[in-house]
Amino acid sequence: MVRVTEPVIEVDGLARTFRSRKGLIRRSSKEIEAVRGVSFAVERGELFGLLGPNGAGKTTTIKMLITLLLPTGGRARVLGHDVVAQAHAVRRKVGYVFGGDRGLYERLSGLDNLRYFAELYGVPARESKQRVGELLELVGLAGREKERVEGYSRGMRQRLHIARGLLHRPEVLFLDEPSIGIDPVGARELRATVRNLVETGTTVLLTTHYMFEADELCDRIAVIARGRIVALDTPSELKQKVTTGTVLEIDVFGVPDGVVEKVRAEPDVLSVSVDVQGQAEVLTVHARPGTDVTQAVMGHLDGSRFGRVITRQPTLEDAYIELVNAA
Amino acid sequence: MNSLRIFFIGGLTSYRALFHWLSPWILVPTFLLTPLFQIFLFVYIGRTAGISDDRFFLIGNAVVNAAVPCLFAMGNTIGGERNTGTLPLLIASPAKRVPLFLGRALPVIVNGFLVAVFALITGSLLLRVDIPPATWGGIAVAIAACSISCTGLGLLGAAVALRVRETAVMSNIVLGILIVFAGVNVPVGAMPGWMQVVAGWLPMTHGIRATHDLAAGAALTDVAGTLLAELGLGALYAGLGLALLRWFEYESRARATLDTA
Repeated sequence: MVRVTEPVIEVDGLARTFRSRKGLIRRSSKEIEAVRGVSFAVERGELFGLLGPNGAGKTTTIKMLITLLLPTGGRARVLGHDVVAQAHAVRRKVGYVFGGDRGLYERLSGLDNLRYFAELYGVPARESKQRVGELLELVGLAGREKERVEGYSRGMRQRLHIARGLLHRPEVLFLDEPSIGIDPVGARELRATVRNLVETGTTVLLTTHYMFEADELCDRIAVIARGRIVALDTPSELKQKVTTGTVLEIDVFGVPDGVVEKVRAEPDVLSVSVDVQGQAEVLTVHARPGTDVTQAVMGHLDGSRFGRVITRQPTLEDAYIELVNAA
Repeated sequence: MNSLRIFFIGGLTSYRALFHWLSPWILVPTFLLTPLFQIFLFVYIGRTAGISDDRFFLIGNAVVNAAVPCLFAMGNTIGGERNTGTLPLLIASPAKRVPLFLGRALPVIVNGFLVAVFALITGSLLLRVDIPPATWGGIAVAIAACSISCTGLGLLGAAVALRVRETAVMSNIVLGILIVFAGVNVPVGAMPGWMQVVAGWLPMTHGIRATHDLAAGAALTDVAGTLLAELGLGALYAGLGLALLRWFEYESRARATLDTA
């Protein structure tokens, strides 16, 4: 018998328009379509990424899914519950962590912050103490939990945010740019924590600006731009979708006249650029997918002094930039 | 069970978290010294003008100071959440709203009660105003009723904080209205008719009247009706506050004003 599982998050034509007013006497209003009918589904245990530039509609989408905002169009269900009609049921089962250092009670200790949110999320009293202790260990704040949050560093605050979001063992966790402002070591630890959560069955919807983070973590990524999803696939498929093929980078000490034009004229070359970096000039050649232009380009540089020669695959960032620019 | 924990433990925790006056540098001058200055001012004005005895001004000005924490701290239960950036987290939580917000009222009521009792005891000692010891129990009940009803009004102010960024201005205005209308320095009976009507719908008015009667020797049963009116007003305002909180919470989700109001 084939077991069909419902998606944990189902988003169908979700839209949100904001109306802002200004002026006291001659009032004028302006409408901004932040999210314009996005649709996607997230399966149980999946780590789904939402990537897009500032103002693309990522946070607005998340706010609608965690019931903080009412949609102006479309519908969404989380764990089978409608985010408008069954908001309370959604709230009990989802966790929400956002980036930045606000959103904590500064005058309270980290421990009291967690205790308070445990009450708000209905963590039973007999479990609360143990759960808070586990999470403090998990996020590396054990030993600092009795200090007031106002004395915490940004990274410590972010780790406390993550502990808070996990207090009630949410089935779905929404992470809105969680690594913003965290140092590289902290960000790596955060990625490990997120990976562990997914391995233990938590479904995660993550927004981030960091391409390597999305590439490393996400099972699938939706690229959102100007309120619309412009691509949705696995990171590797997204990279394949872009027209940029192999990228060749050569450090040349003095690019001879006419070489750039000759390289550009090669049939498999898509684009050529030269950047001055210190004493060297970096010749960057984008080739068609599935081709290798190294020999041809080196042939044009015969007699020149060159250093580093690198051939690399297009990154998710290359794909992201192309997708967003095309939107 | 969880609602009880949210009411008692959550209420106290949020009071510690959000009421920024809980520092000795703010608490002592605001809650202990300012009420005394206010009492001295009006007692001496009363003596100079020869319009009433010291006890009248002492009771009115001591009891009305219960309104300071009741209005400001209660208003800050939402305004403070907005300032710390925790308001979206509170709204996105599944916690039941009635125990959540009523629990926040409990420490505020105690705070208001203690401020007024301190002002009354210290004021009576410093000004040598005779309040018979046998009347203190009843007076404490009347002050508690005033604190409860005023916190009900504060809850209404807390709800408004879901729509406006700053509630301190509004709390200051309400406090001014109470000082003028609630029989603090002018007996309600001496006011024009329309002011008496307004006074009848304000918290403090009935409680202050009951406190005067108790200090003059009335039994608690004699002022029970007046105190019930005071508590009834408190319940009315608290009910309006909770209803308004519910409505504004929905509106804030519809209008996206949680972060921007």
